[in-house]
Amino acid sequence: MTRALKLTDLSKTFAVGLRLFRPPKALVRAVQPVSLDVDKGETLGIVGESGCGKSTLARMLVGLLEPTDGTIEIEGEPLNTADPAEFGKRIQYVFQDPISSLNPRKTIRQIMEAPLRHLHGMDRAARAKRISEIFAAVNLREEFLDRYPHEFSGGQAQRIGIARALAADARILILDEPVSALDVSVQAQVLNLLRDLKAEFDLTYLFISHDLAVVEAVSDRVAVLYFGSVVEVGRAEEVFARPRHPYTKLLADSAPVVGRKLSAPEGRETELPDPMNPPKGCAFRARCPRATAQCAAVPPLERTPEGSYVACFHPLDT
Amino acid sequence: MSFLRLLARNRLALAGLIVMVCVVVLALITPLLPLADPNVTSTGDRFQRPFSEGALLGTDHLGRDLLSRLLHGARLSLAVGFAAAVIAATLGAAVGIIAGFYGGRTDNIIMRGVDMLMAFPYILLALAIVAALGPGLLNALIAVAAVNIPFFARNIRGVTVGIAHKEFVDAARLSGMGDLRIIITEVLPNVIPVIVIAMSTTVGWMILETAGLSFLGLGSQPPVADLGSMLGEARSALITNPHTSIVPGAMILIIVMAINLLGDGVRDALDPRLKSGALNRPMPTTLVDRQGPVPQPQAGGALLSIEGLKTEFHVKNRHYKAVGGVTLSVRSGECLGIIGESGSGKSVTALSVMGLVASPPGVITGGAVHFEGQELVGAPYAQLRRLRGDRVAYIFQDPLATLHPLYTVGDQLIEAVQSHHATAKAEARAHAIDLLKSVRIPNAEKRIDSYPHEMSGGMRQRVGIAMALANDPDVIIADEPTTALDVTVQAQILSLLDDLRRDRGLAIVFITHDFGVVAQLCDRVAVMYAGRIVEEGPTDAILNAPSHPYTSRLMACVPELGGGRRELAAIPGMPPVVDRLPDGCAFADRCHKVRKACRRGEIDLVDNGPDRTVRCIDPEPVREAAQ
Amino acid sequence: MAGYILKRLVSAIPVLLGISIIVFLIMAMIPGDPATAILGSYATPENVEKLNRDLGLDKPLVQRYFIWLGNMLQGDFGRSFSLNRPVIDEVLERFNGTLILAGTSFVICSFLGVAAGVVSAARQYGLADKLITFVVLLGISIPSFFLGMMMILIFAVNLQWFPVSGMWPIYGDRDIAALISHLTLPALALATVATGVIARLSRSAMLEVLRQDFIRTARAKGVHERGVIWRHALRAAMVSIIPVLGIQAGFVLSGAVYIEIVFQWPGVGRMLVDAILTRDILLVQGGVVFVAACYVMFNIAVDVAQSLLDPRIKT
Repeated sequence: MTRALKLTDLSKTFAVGLRLFRPPKALVRAVQPVSLDVDKGETLGIVGESGCGKSTLARMLVGLLEPTDGTIEIEGEPLNTADPAEFGKRIQYVFQDPISSLNPRKTIRQIMEAPLRHLHGMDRAARAKRISEIFAAVNLREEFLDRYPHEFSGGQAQRIGIARALAADARILILDEPVSALDVSVQAQVLNLLRDLKAEFDLTYLFISHDLAVVEAVSDRVAVLYFGSVVEVGRAEEVFARPRHPYTKLLADSAPVVGRKLSAPEGRETELPDPMNPPKGCAFRARCPRATAQCAAVPPLERTPEGSYVACFHPLDT
Repeated sequence: MSFLRLLARNRLALAGLIVMVCVVVLALITPLLPLADPNVTSTGDRFQRPFSEGALLGTDHLGRDLLSRLLHGARLSLAVGFAAAVIAATLGAAVGIIAGFYGGRTDNIIMRGVDMLMAFPYILLALAIVAALGPGLLNALIAVAAVNIPFFARNIRGVTVGIAHKEFVDAARLSGMGDLRIIITEVLPNVIPVIVIAMSTTVGWMILETAGLSFLGLGSQPPVADLGSMLGEARSALITNPHTSIVPGAMILIIVMAINLLGDGVRDALDPRLKSGALNRPMPTTLVDRQGPVPQPQAGGALLSIEGLKTEFHVKNRHYKAVGGVTLSVRSGECLGIIGESGSGKSVTALSVMGLVASPPGVITGGAVHFEGQELVGAPYAQLRRLRGDRVAYIFQDPLATLHPLYTVGDQLIEAVQSHHATAKAEARAHAIDLLKSVRIPNAEKRIDSYPHEMSGGMRQRVGIAMALANDPDVIIADEPTTALDVTVQAQILSLLDDLRRDRGLAIVFITHDFGVVAQLCDRVAVMYAGRIVEEGPTDAILNAPSHPYTSRLMACVPELGGGRRELAAIPGMPPVVDRLPDGCAFADRCHKVRKACRRGEIDLVDNGPDRTVRCIDPEPVREAAQ
Repeated sequence: MAGYILKRLVSAIPVLLGISIIVFLIMAMIPGDPATAILGSYATPENVEKLNRDLGLDKPLVQRYFIWLGNMLQGDFGRSFSLNRPVIDEVLERFNGTLILAGTSFVICSFLGVAAGVVSAARQYGLADKLITFVVLLGISIPSFFLGMMMILIFAVNLQWFPVSGMWPIYGDRDIAALISHLTLPALALATVATGVIARLSRSAMLEVLRQDFIRTARAKGVHERGVIWRHALRAAMVSIIPVLGIQAGFVLSGAVYIEIVFQWPGVGRMLVDAILTRDILLVQGGVVFVAACYVMFNIAVDVAQSLLDPRIKT
């Protein structure tokens, strides 16, 4: 099996309170050093709550944000250029908000042609041919091409967004909450389309979502993010069924499930840590029922006997 | 083109347009008209009154024909005003786009410069420029254009920042486009309407300003006159011969007013929010325009009952039937869930109860709502206000947007109490602290003086719940209260709501799109689709054995945690648009069991097993419920 | 709060320096040399050279700037040749008149404009709204100098309710009643445009706020409609109205130039126009810098007011 994507110690620090000549007031670490591998043809789910750094991570992977530190390797080749066009041919992005990711003043054809023209330098005939192939693949009628984005529903617009990502002919797609703006009945359509496309075009997915059930349903492996760090990585069917990290367990217990009695999984009323004033050691320590003095150090992400990875000094038994 | 049509529909703008066309045409053909030379003096004919022979509008202090001078002056004023507006808009927009698009240090430096220019009262800068360049119309034009550049730059920068952070700009970047190309093809087309609006609303102002400089004697120099210098020259004869002042002054007024009317029309036509009616002020209560008989309250001792409620949105000529005849009831201590996708009418149903649907465009067109036997639809404002927040309280979705950003949570809680009960401030405050404690906010004595932005989403929603509890209401209507929250916070809030309702015997109407939430919290559930209830009954029965095809298929397409990787059973197609509902069942087009009868007229909500109803002619059998 | 005010004052220093540089550079662009302008075209070359030396005009530009700046910081704005008195004395005396006129107008237009905007928004599409909208349109379309002239014609000449011009009666007591009767017409004429602009922006700010979710929350908890409009909506709308008031203060100050001319009001605007026409550069320079500096200080006050209103601004 070959690596499609390899991240080594990728991190991002944002400056808060930018000033003209002096250094910024504070630095906020949005993504702690993260190392992850994605195999070719795999779907890696990334799940976490708001502010956990999942979108920042995704934007670094496509070159929309420059990493503060660390390296990205795509199909074995290091990619350190800041040129988004260089990324564009290898890795593409599907946005959360399907409507705002399409320029309201351009026709769908103009939107679809941009990657073909600027990334691949295709001529008019080649572009038209490629667009009809892609539209057929995502079940969109070609008559849509001369319409404007506001004429489409969220589900259709998201198909167009996916079509645009495919047009760049990249082998890796970053899907950043691709269905969370959609209604559930449409959500399933898009998820199934993504699954079909993956088989058809031999794609690798990085699927980011806050919805545990969706991530579980589409992923091969799942990485759980908390406060900018990966706390657990494991096979999709195991991560939530048999969580090792206390945070993963909290997530799994919090998700409302038909047939499970309502109970507050957390006894205490807790809040997320403040990024301006990050806790030392394990970020989950203050909320964790198993925390000990040892947790004042940062726990490393270590392989378990079962083959998953967990960053915890006191992991739960399976 | 729709823009011109929109403009023409605005009668005032049309009037402005007609006046402007006349003035511009007159100005253009002025040299061709048989007029006296505007600059030839004839001291013998000084100060002739209007309508005197040979001088329709009379003459000025040097005996020059006022009509001729007026037309030539208007020509000059228009040209200078427009030129100044175009120059200022172009340069200002260029600066603004660059600052807004690149951001960071570029933005910082440019905007410091702009702020510095705006630190002058504008005329000081204009006077300084004219002082340096010397009086003259061209110099006045340069001065007016220059002092207006910062205003345009700042305005356009703000808009550009918004666009530069839109996802489609990121998408363009990933499509291999460079900065320059992104500015030209992605940003500029979206900024141009704003530039046009800014220009059309400031041309009038530019004309006034250049006229002003000329009035001061710093613009056009004798013998040539624009409207401003005509006024300036006439000023000394204001009292003896007012017509020489009134003629050019009225002309400026007419021109600028026409331009302003037209400019407002352009703005309204280009602003998409106006088309959707989104700039309307919602009235204190929803409009009621009930057709047909008013239903009587249902028997059975319901605390709050909704009978045949119909709420529509009237936008232009379209009537969106958001709620198309909903009947529901909730008893004391009961939790009723309303579940549906967006656009199914679940929130509108909830807001209609207390007349909180924004109107315009919302109108309640039928049905009734009874609270303890009192009819609420069409009730006078005073009666509704007394009940709102006192007996029937609401919790809304996004706790950041629904709390007032400029008042402390304590002030907002105290206000909720004092709106209904004359309570001393100290007593109300103590009550507010108790409320915060009852929703398990740690450190309530301190938190009461926090502003909403100082709290996390979960804490804010607790405040929202505390506010709903302030007057010990009988019913709480919760409109997707946990949708904006993270899953771990959602679990805390749900368990809090569940405890509160058991402790206080509250009736809760809980609106959500999440089956898991309904299953955990609600006793009964109503499923809505396209503005109507398709199925209603006890939660367990419905979730274990849904009988409407929509319910069963919707449940099937929601992945449930613990199922592992799997294929999802999607529902084909999309929900119908509620201004063009099909005859018969609205779900027919997407249903796998559809037959001819489904599309043949109204389908009623019929009894379907114990305490259950369904709106389907071929429901799934319910025998599994026995399991 | 005190710390915030201090911070804003410190941050005004570069702005003030920038203003002085801009004014200095613009004035340095003036063609010909001031000495000739002062002495007239028949002056002997020796006299011109001597005056240039006295004025420091033989030195390089940068040095001249710092000399000028240094003198200004000690309160020495130079001497006006046309009035033959120190610039600062003249400016201070004239600024007093402008302050009375513009200050009164600013108070009028702030209250009237905001009130009109709120009523207009609260009664959107009602009779009051239409009436206010029309009057506002008229107000922003009429040149203030023309309005002033028409007011003189109607209220001073024909009806004789108010004096025609000036700040004080030529004979008689300089008491507050005399000031008010002289002030009424010019202050109203000056306030008209700004009232219109403020009313328009207040109306749209209110409409924007009235659609917000927190207004629905206020209604849902049973707050009286009066409280919804004036306590909830207006307070939130003030966040966007206050900066507009700051900008309009600059426009009132600017419009004062015209009104001072029309009503023969002894203010700094009329002084500046006269100084430009007589090419009294030191007077122009000093007057512009002084007024601009006052406006910067006023805007700091506006910022402080904004931070008191909006707790989201970090103080």
